[in-house]
Amino acid sequence: MIERARQALLGAACLLFTVCLLWAVRHLVALPAEQQALSVLLSRWLPDSGVSHPVTAVLLNFRSYDTLLEIGVLVIAGMVGISLARTSALEDPAMRSADPLLHALLRLFLPLLVLLAGWLLWAGSSRPGGAFQAGALLAAAGVLGRLAGLPMAFLRPGTLLRAGLVLGFSVFLLIALLGALDGRAFLAYPPGLAGALILVIEAGLSLSIGMILLALFVSAPVAPEEDADGGPPA
Amino acid sequence: MSSLLMAGLLFTPLAWAVLCLLLAFRAARLASVIGMLLQMALSLALWAWVAEQGGFFYHLGGWAPPLGIGLRVDGLAVTFVLLTALVGAACGLHAGLYLDPSRPWQRYFWPLFWMLWAGLNAVWLAGDLFNLYVGLELITLAAVGLVVLGGAAPALEAALRYLFAALIGSLAYLLGVALLYAEFGSLSLVGVGEGAGSASPAASFALLIMLFGLAVKAALFPGHTWLPPAHGIARAPVSALLSGLVVKAAFYVAARVWLELGPALEAAVVGVLLGVAGSAAVCWGSWQALRQPQLKLVVAWSSVAQIGYLFLLFPLSHGVPEAVSLQAQQGVTLQVISHALAKSAMFLAAGNLILSVRSKRVEALAGVSRYLPLSLFSFGLAGVSLMGMPPSGGFAAKWLLLQASLASGQWWWAAVLLVGGLLAAAYVFRIYRASFQEVEESDPFYHPPRSLEIIPLVLALLALGLGLVAEPVLSVLGLPFGGEVLSP
Repeated sequence: MIERARQALLGAACLLFTVCLLWAVRHLVALPAEQQALSVLLSRWLPDSGVSHPVTAVLLNFRSYDTLLEIGVLVIAGMVGISLARTSALEDPAMRSADPLLHALLRLFLPLLVLLAGWLLWAGSSRPGGAFQAGALLAAAGVLGRLAGLPMAFLRPGTLLRAGLVLGFSVFLLIALLGALDGRAFLAYPPGLAGALILVIEAGLSLSIGMILLALFVSAPVAPEEDADGGPPA
Repeated sequence: MSSLLMAGLLFTPLAWAVLCLLLAFRAARLASVIGMLLQMALSLALWAWVAEQGGFFYHLGGWAPPLGIGLRVDGLAVTFVLLTALVGAACGLHAGLYLDPSRPWQRYFWPLFWMLWAGLNAVWLAGDLFNLYVGLELITLAAVGLVVLGGAAPALEAALRYLFAALIGSLAYLLGVALLYAEFGSLSLVGVGEGAGSASPAASFALLIMLFGLAVKAALFPGHTWLPPAHGIARAPVSALLSGLVVKAAFYVAARVWLELGPALEAAVVGVLLGVAGSAAVCWGSWQALRQPQLKLVVAWSSVAQIGYLFLLFPLSHGVPEAVSLQAQQGVTLQVISHALAKSAMFLAAGNLILSVRSKRVEALAGVSRYLPLSLFSFGLAGVSLMGMPPSGGFAAKWLLLQASLASGQWWWAAVLLVGGLLAAAYVFRIYRASFQEVEESDPFYHPPRSLEIIPLVLALLALGLGLVAEPVLSVLGLPFGGEVLSP
């Protein structure tokens, strides 16, 4: 009975929320488009950003600080994932397979995925694409390899994996500092080098994002040992 | 000069997070001590700069808002940056000694700790609604990671609960940001504040859901249920960081948004609602703290209560004379600072006590007063500030809030301050009563290293002394904000 009342209350709250949201959106649609001012600014400064695609320009130049911190969030997720991992490697020896058909298929797919990731990375400067998409494809290649039982023992939660997780983030961070040491603001690109540096950052980010997503896919949830806050260190 | 300071302040925690991820626990601990000193020096230097020259805007990447992101470096922001450096360094030093280096997962403490620090600084300095969101996400994920460290089942459960609550809060906030952006075409707080000249239904709805989301993230009653398990189960230095700093970040964002938009949108009812929820939090949190069988849960529930006081800002800063609103803002700022110092001291002291008696239960403290007076003393000193007795920072904060509530004619909030103080005294004395029980056998306790006991003592003394230096601390907050733009 109480449970039913709770559900009814929750349903009513959701309904009210949806109605309010729709009403607010209707009001907003009727507004004259004020954000025009911002798109004028964007197209005014786009040529100075080093890339020709506005989304990439916003993500990696105009609002690069947000992107830097978001990569930080991804690094945290990857870190927490591997800190909980039960396995010592990102592959499971029990899953290794010698199925010739599967391997023949992968021989076709994996290079294609990597090629596509590279193209997306390159395309990001002038059309939709970029580090996040390329990283997702790289991770997909890794997931495929893992599901098909390819040996990937090199991806241990060791130094190499940890370095891979933070590679893109470190490159981004160092380039950000470069601007400040040069007398400009934090995250400011040296004049004329913005396009090249953005490509360098995105290449590093693609690798790291792929690595983070793959690590999250593979990490097992719970370590068996208990470590509650209840006694002196052993 | 200040441009380099800013770059250093933003760069250091992120760089140290990377560095510490690549090092093992002991090496990372050494590196972290150096990083903490550096960060402390940078924070102090920036604070001194702002105290002398006034606040400024810092444009990241050299792009001015609304196209780029501007940081608002004012007296309040640098005060909180300095507070973070102080409390963060204390918790970091304590953790270096408290955590067991032989556990393989403890190495992840340091990178998460630095990410948390970076997120906190990002939030204090942010002047952009979406940037605030990213900062809050950084804080939340790092905090959840710290709670779950080690991955024992109860910790995992508490952390997941925390994560879900925090995500609901974040999404509500983000939806509000999207609506505000659609309405005003800007993400910078200043730009949105200028746009919100008159009441607009969409902006009011946006403000409402943003405040809802942030209240859940700040563990305001009745959205507080995730806090006690998460803060109770985390290791003591982590709990100290979470209670001392992390919940304040969500409140800080709520206050910034409210002070910018609340008056324009005539949201008096929302303010009163938040005040009522805060008052309920004070009473319910203190009552629960009084009844908890475990020491750290007492401290965690006390956080629920103390956060309640902060939300008195909302009714006391709306529709009242400028001077009264300022008084309320000063009182709440002092409450944030004094609670950060006192609660982190209390959690660290509680961790030491738990280490000594090898049990989490309150009754296990019997005999502690004779053999381990120092940690108990720090616990009590922190308690003095929570109760709001002079000369503590808690007293100064409550005094200002009391004056604001009387001056604004809303005397009923003063009753909340009174009841909360009495209940706080009750739950602190309950711990003392348990610890003064005599035990027959000779000293059965583990004695933690002296340095572990000194750290909470220093924090508790700072909380106690804050009332004496409230005037200079508040004067930095009221500094003229030049609005001088600092970008080459």
